[in-house]
Amino acid sequence: MKLINNKSKQSRLKITSILFVAALLIIGVAATGQTALAEKSAQGGPDEGSPLHPSFPMLDEDGENVLDTGNPISTMQTCGSCHDTEFIEEHSYHANAGFDDMVAAGETPTERDWDTSPGFFGTWNPIAYRYLSPAGDEYPDLTTPEWIQAFGGRHPGGGPAVYSQTGVKLTELAYSVDSFETNIVDPETGELVKWDWQESGIVEMNCFLCHTPAPNNDARKEALHDGAFQWANTATLLGSGIVSEANGEFTWNETAFNEDKELSAEFVTLQDPEDNNCGLCHGLVHDNVEDPLVMDGCSPERWTTITTGQIISSQRLSVSGMNLADKENLARSWDVHAERQLECTDCHYALNNPLYYQEGSATRPDHLLFDPRRLELGEYLEQPLHQFARGDSAQSMVSPNVKGTMRGCADCHDADAAHDWLPYADRHMSAVSCETCHIPKLYSSANQQYDWTVIDIEGNAQTQCRGSEGEVGVNSLLVGYEPILLPREDANGTKTLVPHNLITTWFWIYGEDERPVPQRDLELAYLQDAEYAPEVLEAFDANSDGLLDDSELIIDTEAKDSLIKERLSALGFDNPRIAGEIQPYSIHHDVATSDWATRDCQTCHSEDTRLTQELQLSGYVPIGTKAEFVPGSNVIFNGEIYEDENGAIFYKPAPDAENLYILGADSVKWIDAVGLWSFILVVLGVLGHGGLRVYAASKNGVHEVKVEKVYMYSVYERFWHWMQTAAIVLLLFTGMIIHNPDSYVLFSFSGVVITHNVLATILAVNAALSLFYHLVSGEIKQYIPRPRGFFDQTFTQATFYINGIFKGEEHPFEKSAKKKLNPLQQITYFGILNVLLPLQGITGILIWGAERWPPLSAALGGLPFLAPFHTLIAWLFGSFIVMHVYLTTTGHTPLAGINSMINGWDDVEVHEHTEK
Amino acid sequence: MKKINRTWIIGAIATLLIILIPTIYFLPESDKRSDDPWQNIPLHPVHTDHTAILEDRGPFETGSDVTRACLECHENSASEMMATAHWTWESEPYDIEGRDEPVTIGKKNQINNFCIGVQGNWSSCTSCHAGYGWDSADFDFENEENVDCLVCHDTTGTYVKSTAGNPAEGTDLMDVAKNIGIPGRENCGGCHFKGGGGNAVKHGDLDETLYYPPDNVDVHMGEHDFLCTDCHRTEAHLVSGRSISVSLDSKNQIACTDCHSEELHEDERINVHLSSVACQTCHIPSAATRDATKMYWDWSTAGNDDIEESTHEYLKIKGSFVYEDDFVPEYRWYNGTADRYLLGDEMNPEEITAINMPLGDIDDETAKIFPFKVHRGKQPYDTVYNYFLQPKTVGEGGFWTEFDWDLALRLGSEITGMEYSGEYDFAPTEMFWPTTHMVTSADEALTCGYCHGEGESRMDWEALGYYGDPIDWGGRFSAKR
Repeated sequence: MKLINNKSKQSRLKITSILFVAALLIIGVAATGQTALAEKSAQGGPDEGSPLHPSFPMLDEDGENVLDTGNPISTMQTCGSCHDTEFIEEHSYHANAGFDDMVAAGETPTERDWDTSPGFFGTWNPIAYRYLSPAGDEYPDLTTPEWIQAFGGRHPGGGPAVYSQTGVKLTELAYSVDSFETNIVDPETGELVKWDWQESGIVEMNCFLCHTPAPNNDARKEALHDGAFQWANTATLLGSGIVSEANGEFTWNETAFNEDKELSAEFVTLQDPEDNNCGLCHGLVHDNVEDPLVMDGCSPERWTTITTGQIISSQRLSVSGMNLADKENLARSWDVHAERQLECTDCHYALNNPLYYQEGSATRPDHLLFDPRRLELGEYLEQPLHQFARGDSAQSMVSPNVKGTMRGCADCHDADAAHDWLPYADRHMSAVSCETCHIPKLYSSANQQYDWTVIDIEGNAQTQCRGSEGEVGVNSLLVGYEPILLPREDANGTKTLVPHNLITTWFWIYGEDERPVPQRDLELAYLQDAEYAPEVLEAFDANSDGLLDDSELIIDTEAKDSLIKERLSALGFDNPRIAGEIQPYSIHHDVATSDWATRDCQTCHSEDTRLTQELQLSGYVPIGTKAEFVPGSNVIFNGEIYEDENGAIFYKPAPDAENLYILGADSVKWIDAVGLWSFILVVLGVLGHGGLRVYAASKNGVHEVKVEKVYMYSVYERFWHWMQTAAIVLLLFTGMIIHNPDSYVLFSFSGVVITHNVLATILAVNAALSLFYHLVSGEIKQYIPRPRGFFDQTFTQATFYINGIFKGEEHPFEKSAKKKLNPLQQITYFGILNVLLPLQGITGILIWGAERWPPLSAALGGLPFLAPFHTLIAWLFGSFIVMHVYLTTTGHTPLAGINSMINGWDDVEVHEHTEK
Repeated sequence: MKKINRTWIIGAIATLLIILIPTIYFLPESDKRSDDPWQNIPLHPVHTDHTAILEDRGPFETGSDVTRACLECHENSASEMMATAHWTWESEPYDIEGRDEPVTIGKKNQINNFCIGVQGNWSSCTSCHAGYGWDSADFDFENEENVDCLVCHDTTGTYVKSTAGNPAEGTDLMDVAKNIGIPGRENCGGCHFKGGGGNAVKHGDLDETLYYPPDNVDVHMGEHDFLCTDCHRTEAHLVSGRSISVSLDSKNQIACTDCHSEELHEDERINVHLSSVACQTCHIPSAATRDATKMYWDWSTAGNDDIEESTHEYLKIKGSFVYEDDFVPEYRWYNGTADRYLLGDEMNPEEITAINMPLGDIDDETAKIFPFKVHRGKQPYDTVYNYFLQPKTVGEGGFWTEFDWDLALRLGSEITGMEYSGEYDFAPTEMFWPTTHMVTSADEALTCGYCHGEGESRMDWEALGYYGDPIDWGGRFSAKR
């Protein structure tokens, strides 16, 4: 319970309203009491009620006391005596489930022809397979009452379980012979038969499911499945001592009520929702740290766990009861937030909860860190929004207006304070979500594939899981899986890589307006008297053992395909064909602390980078089909689907298409090729030239020239030169490591990156100082080619290198302290110093600037342009160095040039002819 | 040329420095935690082979013969040893609040709630005394030849002590003496693992699994192969370490922080616990993980022939027991010192008398929450004088032979010099055994949920003096409290 924490924070912030604090205090006491209560009720019946919530009469839908009428409880009436239950229901996407946003079939973001809303009521989920049929379908699967029977277990009531799409209460809806709201499909005949709403009643929004410590969800689901809708909420109270059931008859226990026919205080156990309440529908929650967590291998029961593998538990993996690979070394908890005792509602709070509400930065004045003005508690308790703060998960499309309302990682954590070890922290965090590194792996299994093109004898799809090995069950070895990182555009406009699971489904569709073949018809196509039809068995049973195992139960041949097509056509389905779709499921729970987060740079900055790590979509592809991503999510699919030699298909993401250039992982092939070839050609040229010189020298003999000693290079010039040499050589070396860290595993990537930056700074400072020196001393003139006669001179010099040098001719231009460079050198250095060096400097600074001034770097091409460009120039620099070093050997002796750069004195040829 | 060389060298060095200094300055710091507990571990010197030295000094008929031979070279050893509690079984005199005179406590003169007391039962109890011949109150504590060198220095494992601490019949003393060495686990464990009369009975964190402990039972002695003396560092035969079962102060105590740096957790949230929570609390998640230890001892049922005997449930000579293994310790504030019930103190038979209540509470800034094995039981007291009595259990007239409480208590009282009214009954007592050995690896330490949050908590917050779970209410140093 975080209530008290916030109370203190607020009192420190000097909230003056004593009343407010007092009210919070009451809530606080209540909250603590509830904790004790929850523990007690877990051990047995309640013996102490809520210290805050008053006793109340339980009312039926007419507002009469259930003790008098024996009717099912109406939460709208009972809770509605004080709380604005209509407001609550209207402001609850849990209840509404997309009901208010229903559209004509096919017009939802998913673009499925049979989807009619963006929510649970109207959006197909191929895992559950069954679907609410759009009005008028010839072969309806689920009508409204059947939807409640099938899916009510994961719906808290209200919305579509109360109202017709016309806005009339379902119990008051006029019967229509072809309406999918007043009929159900007879499973035998496939015909519509009347549903008696008066007898079934409706499912009001179920307050008890989330607000009591031990709701009886099984009894509730049973009542829904049996069509006893009006009893579902009452059934939720079974086991609390308030109501009992025998032979389908519910009896209110008078002993639980006081003389005023109000629920006795000790039975009033209403409370804030706890993780277990949320877990009833959302995923595996395990809150007793002393009790080892156990879950069946790949047959988990709960939604978020089967779709992603997420488990909410504070327990260390190593002490759980799970059959985990390398378990003894897995000392991390399943979820660090659960470990640190956060609850679901701490992040997913009611959006007008005065304790949690924080105005978004979009509307809050910049100078205001905290706005103490809040909704009065009384107002909140009367009209608590049941829109809960939520994130940006790809799989959830209902109620888009509250997307991104949840506190994100950065709302509680100061990432800067914890990531001082990480170079380019801002750049990293703008490119990847916190989850990318902090959810490196899911240690449970998750579904990978549902193949509804075939069914087993019970009518279930053939499924494949990821993250477990061996037979499905408690004995399977959980190896976990690494989620795929997909670019996702969130409600606030940020685009980062977020871990996901991908679930692929294959299924039969038919008709021009596509519909999945209803499950009951699939059973008709495959089964006969609870066994496979003989024709099916014959076609599928490859080893003729009379059974269909998983490898046989695949539509992998034309024969199987056409047989099932025929049988579906015979059932009246027009043009049956197989379709496949891939649904992304975002992963935000099971976060790890820094010890378990990805910290090794080379996880991403290496050739097989984690960022483009593929994920298997399906172990096989039914014949003649392919899978497509479900449209309408905020995930960007710019990678590719490929098939391996075994027929399994994979998805490989391509973050580069999202303007990410990952140093050490990405490279532009032609640039490396051009760079390498220029380098090789220079080396070959140098070797060839040098070889010819040696050959010529051996033939002509060493040509004696007259030399005299000249003080060629001042101390500063030499220092400047060698400083620059060291910097450039080291820059090239560190640059190579950054470009291709896999070949230099000895070096720490981040260390090399930092060294590279420091060297670049040294080089820049050195260059600037030397520019200053050259300008002030006038030495700069040496580097500036004189326009007059320049081409002639260049030609003369080139001719010398091509021809004269082999004949032992004298250098055409005399080297002197005043004129150190020959024309060819002038043009080369002019190019190097004015083109290559500045370009390399600017691109380097901009790459570094991706952290400092992201917009500028992005405007000038971003990393995908800048980094390869920087690489290309580096290649040219490398080539230049080879050429440069070689040319130093063309003096009167091979080492004369280098010597002069070391000791300053050069033996200069004294020419007999005068200078031109 | 020389000048040029110098210029060149200076230039090269300058270039190097210009590159190296900023690079090193900007390189990311390596892991800040510089905790190296190994540097605090004493080296184990190779022990001198005594075979040749002792060859001509035999034959050894008695333990004292060996001691005499030892003292020929190690002149001070006996006197050093005789200054320690291993010899005296008694503390220096303490001043205790509320008592007029300084008191000494120790095995020698006080009681516990296991076998109750040594006095009158010497010959049996003193088989674990590091001396020879303590079988009555008249034992000569000044005689150096009574010191038992071998019990701590034997390396053969064949040296066994018998009644009054004398070597068992048939021990080859020469062989043992030739093979002496530095004390190993077996030397300490021979007595300390068997406190209370058998393996694992007394402490809950010291038992024979520590001879060869798996890594997950004791990270120090298992994974890192420690000897007892690596932590219980010993100088001049004074072994460091204290337990509130026999000591009241925390002088010469051992702490985790002797080797481990104080704030070594990377997680700040854990480090803020350190001012209120002892290391042991999280790092010893459960006690007696392998061998069950005695949790309850009811002397009042002893002597009954009608109850079936079973080593871990009932013995006629001792009464009824409850043993437990792998249990969650009890958590109390503890500042390292304890109160003490002294023989003769008045007690209230209606209440549980704590023999050694750990001292400290939420307002005591030096106290931390610490895990204890709490041994509870019932033991005889004088219903007229309202104090606990010490029975004579061993030997002539003792309860273990006569099964006559009145006689045993009378004989015991004569020895302790206490008045005995002849009226006795049994009253409840509890005794606190700090859980401090069998530290597990960091990977097995408790996590938040064991104490905090909605689920069941190991801490009884209100009993510890908090308003509620400090995760909500704030810790004892928090402004919220």
